[in-house]
Amino acid sequence: MYVLQQILNGICQGGIYALIAVGYTLIVGIVGLITFVYGETLMIGAMSVLFLYKVVKLNIVAAAVVAFFSSAIVGVFVHKVCYSRFMNAPRHISLLCTIGCSMLLKNLAQIYCGVEQKKMPGIIKVRSFDIGGLYITNTQLIIMATVIVVCIGLSLFLYKTKIGLRLRAVSQDKTASRLVGISVERDTLIGNCIGTGLGGIAGVLIALYLNTTSATMGTMFGFKAMIFCVLGGLQSVVGAAIGGFVIGIVENLGIMFLSTTYRDLFSFVFLVLALMIRPEGLFVRRRKQ
Amino acid sequence: MRYGIKVKELYAQHKRLAIILCFVLAALLPLTVVKTSYALGVATKMVIYAIAASGLNIINGYSGQTNLGMAAFLGIGAYTAGILWYRLGVPTAAGFILGVLAAGLLGFILSLPTRRLYGTYLTILTLGFSEVIRMIFVNWTSVTNGVMGITNIDNLSLFGLTVQTGTKQYFWFALIFLALVLFVLSRLLNSRIGRAWISIREGEEAALSLGVEVAKYKSLNFVVGAMIGGLAGCLITFYYRQISPDLFTLDEGFNILAMTIVGGSGTLIGPIVGSVFVLFLTEILRFASRYRLVVYAILIIGTMWINPAGIAGAKNSSAAQYSLHIFQRKGAKQNAESDS
Repeated sequence: MYVLQQILNGICQGGIYALIAVGYTLIVGIVGLITFVYGETLMIGAMSVLFLYKVVKLNIVAAAVVAFFSSAIVGVFVHKVCYSRFMNAPRHISLLCTIGCSMLLKNLAQIYCGVEQKKMPGIIKVRSFDIGGLYITNTQLIIMATVIVVCIGLSLFLYKTKIGLRLRAVSQDKTASRLVGISVERDTLIGNCIGTGLGGIAGVLIALYLNTTSATMGTMFGFKAMIFCVLGGLQSVVGAAIGGFVIGIVENLGIMFLSTTYRDLFSFVFLVLALMIRPEGLFVRRRKQ
Repeated sequence: MRYGIKVKELYAQHKRLAIILCFVLAALLPLTVVKTSYALGVATKMVIYAIAASGLNIINGYSGQTNLGMAAFLGIGAYTAGILWYRLGVPTAAGFILGVLAAGLLGFILSLPTRRLYGTYLTILTLGFSEVIRMIFVNWTSVTNGVMGITNIDNLSLFGLTVQTGTKQYFWFALIFLALVLFVLSRLLNSRIGRAWISIREGEEAALSLGVEVAKYKSLNFVVGAMIGGLAGCLITFYYRQISPDLFTLDEGFNILAMTIVGGSGTLIGPIVGSVFVLFLTEILRFASRYRLVVYAILIIGTMWINPAGIAGAKNSSAAQYSLHIFQRKGAKQNAESDS
């Protein structure tokens, strides 16, 4: 029963992780450059909801919308600072820019929001249900529902709209898209904003799930996003989502066997091993060269 | 302008003399300008971090692999020296040498996957590696003392001579090592090995087609860079006489990275300029210590925007070529996407 309970918790956490992973893969896929700022967009999503809640009592939908847009605005900033100037430059230049940007946002947040852990406001009144011995809270249900709605919305957006088509084209080949008249500059900006916006939603969900937020929360989740995406092969959205789910479940099952101090260590060891053994991702068929 | 040219000519004619003169002047610093122990401490730190940044520059600047985990090499060097003394009572000088060798070994291990990985994946790997090493320092309490770290480490003694920390001797000691590192590197970089590294930076496939054994030289590159990092780590151990995992966090790695980038990668002088510049700035901004990392961040971004090659970076690297494009505003757009 305990195992089932942990798996249930793992699925919920994995859902959030999947959302994190999807946002990250969108950025990496469409912009074509790796980013270190992603964790900070999570933090900004959570922080903006936290601060707005002092003024207006938000419900969960409004919170998600607020988080999406505030993180998307940060996405514009990041795009202007780190990507648009360096599209044709050697890759490490924009990579170092994103590191700088991440340091900037994290430390500004620490200065203006304080370094301490903050309790999230009670956007959801926590109630738990008992289903044949398994406990599930309405927070978990609402989080799952949000993740599912966002993922369906995203896939509709990517596959049914014209902008989605353009974004997919840009992620496949920038030169060819430019040739058929797509403004790569504008579309990478849109893609980056959607990616960071999804990160913002994931940030709120994580903060609600753990019931805390802090200026440094982004660092760990930024690395985790990287781990999910490496597991999924960096380019595949579905693969990254599966990667997120797997890690969420494994982490929650891992609590039974390992002390929590070792948990982060193992996810990094997992990352290093995955990179050494299968750098093209666990769920991607190996390309023949 | 004309004076500038004259100075340049003079420098070009008497390069070796100028460098030796610089070192002599630096060595005279504690006797003349730097009087207080606080200023001496800053100067010593500048020298130690110049060594660390030189090590990173070998990897990032010369062979073009983006390594973000320099703190791990420093940490391994520092902890090897510290633990050997603390747990086994090994003499400090032997610990010092073994620390450098251990860092080299770690560099070799990290270089093995680089034979298959490149670009983004390699960067993520070095980052994960650095974090794993730090977590081992934190969690392997029975050996490393966990977050408490190792304290009260003996002063370094070589052949019966004790190098007191916080004194002029330690500054000179570190300076000698910096000179040694620069001498070895300048010999190395003017040899077949250095040219092989630069050819890998500018085009791995082209280098391969010209018969450069890329895998071998990449490994060698990581080993040399890591050993220099380990040397800086050992110097840190015996400078602070205590070590703890927070000395070797990723932020510390980014700090060294900022020095390498701001100073200029791909030249020997660049990391030294960077270390002096960044640490000087840190000390000036001490009144605004909360903004220290913000300033670092703006420095990194600013350097990338204005001149990706840094203050004293290599003029012939692809980053420098790119910055030329920015300045000339010509051909930057037509320039086909370079996937380096």
